[in-house]
Amino acid sequence: MTVSTGQRDIQLGVALGPDHIAFEIDERTVSPDAVYGAAYLFLDRCFVYLSRAESGALRARLTARTAATPQQLEVLASEFTEALVAHATRLKLAEATMRLREYYVAAALRAAAAPPSVDDLLAELESEDLLEDPLEIMVPWEQKHGTKQDESGSK
Amino acid sequence: MTVRTQTVASPDLAADGLAFFRWGRIGDTLLVTNDAGDWLRLSEAELADLLAGRVVAGHARFDDLQRKGFLREGLDLDALIARVAQRNRHLRRDAVLHVVSLRARRDGDMVEMNPATIEQVIHFALEGLPQTVAFEFEADDGEPLRAFELLRHAIELARVRNQRAAGKTLRFSVLTNFAALDETRADWLLANDVQIVTSLDGPAALHDAHRAWKPGSRHADVVGWIDALHRRYAERGRDPSQWRVDARLTVSRQTLSQGRALVDEYLAHGLRTLHLRPLDGVRVDPRTWAAIGYELDDYLAFYRQTLDYLIERNRGGADIRERKAAVMLTRMLTSADAGVADMQSPHGAGTAEIAYDVDGRVFPSGEARLVDAAGDPFFVLGHVSELTPEAIARHPTVRAIAAASLLDAQPMCAECWNKPFCGISPVRTFATHGELAGQRPDGAEHREHLAIATHLFELLAGADAELNAILSRWAVADPRLAASLRTAAVAP
Repeated sequence: MTVSTGQRDIQLGVALGPDHIAFEIDERTVSPDAVYGAAYLFLDRCFVYLSRAESGALRARLTARTAATPQQLEVLASEFTEALVAHATRLKLAEATMRLREYYVAAALRAAAAPPSVDDLLAELESEDLLEDPLEIMVPWEQKHGTKQDESGSK
Repeated sequence: MTVRTQTVASPDLAADGLAFFRWGRIGDTLLVTNDAGDWLRLSEAELADLLAGRVVAGHARFDDLQRKGFLREGLDLDALIARVAQRNRHLRRDAVLHVVSLRARRDGDMVEMNPATIEQVIHFALEGLPQTVAFEFEADDGEPLRAFELLRHAIELARVRNQRAAGKTLRFSVLTNFAALDETRADWLLANDVQIVTSLDGPAALHDAHRAWKPGSRHADVVGWIDALHRRYAERGRDPSQWRVDARLTVSRQTLSQGRALVDEYLAHGLRTLHLRPLDGVRVDPRTWAAIGYELDDYLAFYRQTLDYLIERNRGGADIRERKAAVMLTRMLTSADAGVADMQSPHGAGTAEIAYDVDGRVFPSGEARLVDAAGDPFFVLGHVSELTPEAIARHPTVRAIAAASLLDAQPMCAECWNKPFCGISPVRTFATHGELAGQRPDGAEHREHLAIATHLFELLAGADAELNAILSRWAVADPRLAASLRTAAVAP
């Protein structure tokens, strides 16, 4: 049975400074790992400073590396918020699928490191997932070109 | 300071009905990928349905998502394991590339590897477990053929020793700018199945302009030899799809406006692979960089335009591909890997690629040897006379490279939709950022690979039957790719 964790609102305190944007994030709705992950994405554009605002809350301050207008900072705030939500969702999915993933990755790595058996080679051929058959290799000759009788023009 | 409270809705997530996947935006659609390298394009609404557990039997995307292993319901675990195993088959390290520097610059003079050292290199290379052993011979001035007798001795010794004891598949290639090639040497290289890789930077004006700051032969000599060698291959009855000169190029600021001419030049001389690669500013002296350097964004625009023109020429009947695009397409369209050591996770330095300096010092890769040549001995593993293949695989530097390149363990990469198709070189990151892992958002290689993969998925999204056929042809393992197991070779 599928159990939904349900839609949950995330409340953020947002402060717009002269050259930066600061967020106060409740750890009960967004985990610190999600904050770290989202903040990391902005390292090429911003100086990121993370601190603890109060018990159970993190503060993330993003200062633009180059001069930014208030409008640009608003866009940055919007992008960070989107990244935060996406990261929180990704982490929840990763946590929920961790045991399944550990199982199949461990089994796959054991198989990958082992010398191939004949069964492996056959399975490999069957698992090939070419999107198309552009050269029509799989199309029978008769289907592609007609029968020999067709070629000779006789019926 | 303005302070406000903002409420954001997080998406509905029914995680226990899902298998693991990553996602990201490409144009108007979202791409979901998983550990097996399976992928699907979804709309915003479809991704929301997937996350919320609304993709059930009867949903328009149920069959696709279930077949590719994105849903827990009906998940064929054995098939998923087989596909993930296939995707990681490179861990078996069935092939290893030995990059041998026959001549190098020391205190302003060129010196040669001595015969005793090259014998140690050959013995060492044949000691390891891999069944396929490839040797790539190079020189700091681009012409290892000036040490032709040494090259011949190395190849003959490898053959004899392999016949007597090792029984491996051997491959040989030489990175030459043709400065010391003559008829006799050419005949010997062809007769001994030595793959010839040269340097062709574009049409005559561009290639010759590059010679002002980079050594090498003039355009007329290079294309003269390429044409002559192709004629000789034909005279010997060699399969032209496998036996063909390969060329590397250096992309300068002047190249960026000549992508079409570059492709035309390669086709005019029968070359079938274009190896596009941005120039590293750290490897060029500042005065030269001021004249030829560029921003990565400019390179990426050039890459897209050149790739599009390559496709246009392929639509017209030509057969030419771009190397990195081919490596990625192999991973996108098949469950195979192109076997390129420096675009794998973990990176193949020290396990799928080993390099030797003229003095017998061993490095985890050819690029690592260049870091040493630039003055930083960080990557030296020891001397060939003292090491064993096992000692190299267990060397702390090799293990650090593996850890820094394991994308599942790197921030940003672990969550990136491009993870199954990408590979980052810690050696390159060290050369440009001074550390093995670096910060991915700043990493030039990360940005380059993401841009290439994005463009390829955009092309696949709008592909007609003819374009699908072209991209699928590029994705088929190419003997040329296998012959050289790295993308990082510097144009000789």
